[in-house]
Amino acid sequence: MTAIPRKARPLGSSLGSGIVFAALVALWWAASHAGWISRVFLPTPEATLDSLRAGLAAGGELASFTLATTLRMLEGWLLASLLGVALGALIGISPTARAYLQPTLEFVRPLPASALMPLAIALLGLSPAMVLSVVAFGAMWPVLLATVHGFAAVDARLLEVARCLQLTRGEFVRTIGLPNALPDILAGMRLSLTVSLIVSVVGEMIASQPGLGQAILLAARAFHASELFAGIVLLGVIGFASNTLLGYAERALLKWQST
Amino acid sequence: MRLTRWLRPWWFPIALLALFEAYLRVVVQQSDALAPPSAALRAFIGLIGDGSLLRATAFTLGSAALGLLIGTALGVAFGVWFGLSGRAARLSLVSVEMLRPVPAVALIPLAMLVFGFGLRMEIAVVAFATFWPMLLLTQGAVTQVDARLLEVSRVLGLSAWQRSVKIVLPACVARLFVALRLSVAIALVVAVTVEIAANPNGMGYAMMIAQQSLDPAQMLAWLGWIGVVGYAVNALALGLQRVVARRMGAAS
Amino acid sequence: MSLLSFDRVAIHLGGREILSPTSFEVGRGEFVCIVGPSGCGKTTLLRAASGLVTASAGEVRRHGVRVTQPSREVAFVFQDYGRALLPWRTVRGNVALALEAAGAPKAQQAARIDSVLAKVGLAAHADKFPAQLSGGMQQRVQIARCLAQQPELLMMDEPFGALDALTRQNLQDEVARLVRDEGLTVLFVTHDLEEAIYLGDRVIMLQANPAPGRPSLARMLPVGIAHPRDQLTTKEHPEFLTLRRDLYRYIEHGHHAAH
Repeated sequence: MTAIPRKARPLGSSLGSGIVFAALVALWWAASHAGWISRVFLPTPEATLDSLRAGLAAGGELASFTLATTLRMLEGWLLASLLGVALGALIGISPTARAYLQPTLEFVRPLPASALMPLAIALLGLSPAMVLSVVAFGAMWPVLLATVHGFAAVDARLLEVARCLQLTRGEFVRTIGLPNALPDILAGMRLSLTVSLIVSVVGEMIASQPGLGQAILLAARAFHASELFAGIVLLGVIGFASNTLLGYAERALLKWQST
Repeated sequence: MRLTRWLRPWWFPIALLALFEAYLRVVVQQSDALAPPSAALRAFIGLIGDGSLLRATAFTLGSAALGLLIGTALGVAFGVWFGLSGRAARLSLVSVEMLRPVPAVALIPLAMLVFGFGLRMEIAVVAFATFWPMLLLTQGAVTQVDARLLEVSRVLGLSAWQRSVKIVLPACVARLFVALRLSVAIALVVAVTVEIAANPNGMGYAMMIAQQSLDPAQMLAWLGWIGVVGYAVNALALGLQRVVARRMGAAS
Repeated sequence: MSLLSFDRVAIHLGGREILSPTSFEVGRGEFVCIVGPSGCGKTTLLRAASGLVTASAGEVRRHGVRVTQPSREVAFVFQDYGRALLPWRTVRGNVALALEAAGAPKAQQAARIDSVLAKVGLAAHADKFPAQLSGGMQQRVQIARCLAQQPELLMMDEPFGALDALTRQNLQDEVARLVRDEGLTVLFVTHDLEEAIYLGDRVIMLQANPAPGRPSLARMLPVGIAHPRDQLTTKEHPEFLTLRRDLYRYIEHGHHAAH
């Protein structure tokens, strides 16, 4: 359930960088054509492109698979974020709750989300619900822990200001607690999204749910390297797009930080 | 009282386990899906006895460690290079941005294809997963060496080698161990995930098999053990990070 | 009846005596300055007056009623203004917090905020974030928020300590003017003796190193200089000079006595 948060950076800032990447692709082309690495493992770039085109075209399944994986990821992530923020806020504002619950939270933190799959399978079988529940549970922790931290780490001065103004608990959460925790919450949500994608893919592999995870597993088993690579490319695109968009949202919401 | 404070972290999990135990014994009584914690404990002891605990744990930790080693070695090497050479950093930008977003799990089928099942496949995926954080954090650590320290090195007339060894490297070490701690966590998570998804070895696989054989006690025993191992490994890594930070003069 | 009265107030924290039994009264409309060396307990005295800290012995009474917790009637200006403002709200938003806490009707809020900002001279900066403002301006935002509370008592804890000399002088005059215009009662803590004499109707000096059995209150001197005061002429006024010498001598004496 731990992963590195990404900082979205502007692309193509230097032509040289693009040329280096093109050179790597050229290396790929050479390696596959010259047979340095067997074409069973390393398809040619054109073959990959063909598989991508065919798969994304009207008759192909890659488009629907990509959509399925993306939706699964988003669904789980949104659910996880809502639960994580709600529970995190409740635990975060109460020092007593934190004292009793924090150690347990710290124990669950390093637990791999996918480790809960056998348990989920035992309870829910090999179903979409199983995958969604593990995704949501796994993706909840980064947000929950970040929210708890965000609420617990309110500047002592702001706590006193709240007392001086006699803010009620609810007003405090709304005007001070939540905004103060927002940077932490957003960072947690970014981690969450990464976890969400990973667990969705693993879930699709294990539970044979339609999606990119299952697609690349089947492609590997059938030795269809180009289809495998096409799937990997698409998963990279999902990862890239979701992180970039979240990065924009984060910057927009935290405008006051850069001023 | 000191004893109650020492016990405080345990109240919640104990209560939860007790509730779970009571629920399964009294309400459910017989289930293929779940087992009471007491049964899981018994199963756990059985796993120690027949040696499967040691075997599986050794496999998972071993593959995680080896994958981490490769990922760290390559990541730190590239990270130092990109950190010291602005040109290299700029030229590598697009390639890094294109390759990094690929989730490590997407490479499981590829690793399976190339290496078949076993140790090498898992090491490969773990190495890929840990390479990126080590690369980026090392690069960050190197570029963020205090400009003032670099000015001092110029004023003192240090050679490039002296500068790297006496200033840059020591300045980075603390942050490198923070990166390492993070990567240790990732390595373990990815290793277990690979075992659950595909690789028929290790703790993750043992847990899957237990579930498929409708042995919930053993499944839960593995789940608990994976949690304990993860916690212990993370705690050790954190301890190491703190020791290094103190030695390198961090204020604590 | 006096507005605020200290009746043998003593404060112990962490096994140490922070303030020895202190008694004095503050009348409506008075500007009382509290001075003393570091560690004499003047900040703690102020916090006890506002209810942020409870007295270990004795009572603080406001309108004859014991003070046990903060109230919106008593506004508090903190020294570390950066930490007392909400970084994610604009100047206007920060002032609004006081009105929101008091439950002021939305329709009235804008007008009241504008009037208070005009009083502190920040009307042109209403939509800026605290991070975009200088130290003096940030402190004025805090003062504006306190004014928006429409308090009867204003507590100021070394409000200008973190500012440069020129800004400090400007703000001293501004606060003096505001206090007169609004008819506020002020308790003002400072380490700067001249500031205390310049602003106050009365100067209370506390002893260094509070110890049980030795009252913290060392001296209480009225300042017989007419208002409005002026940075240049007041500081050459004979009464000002007498008081100044008096207080400095006392500190020196206390210093020698302690060593």
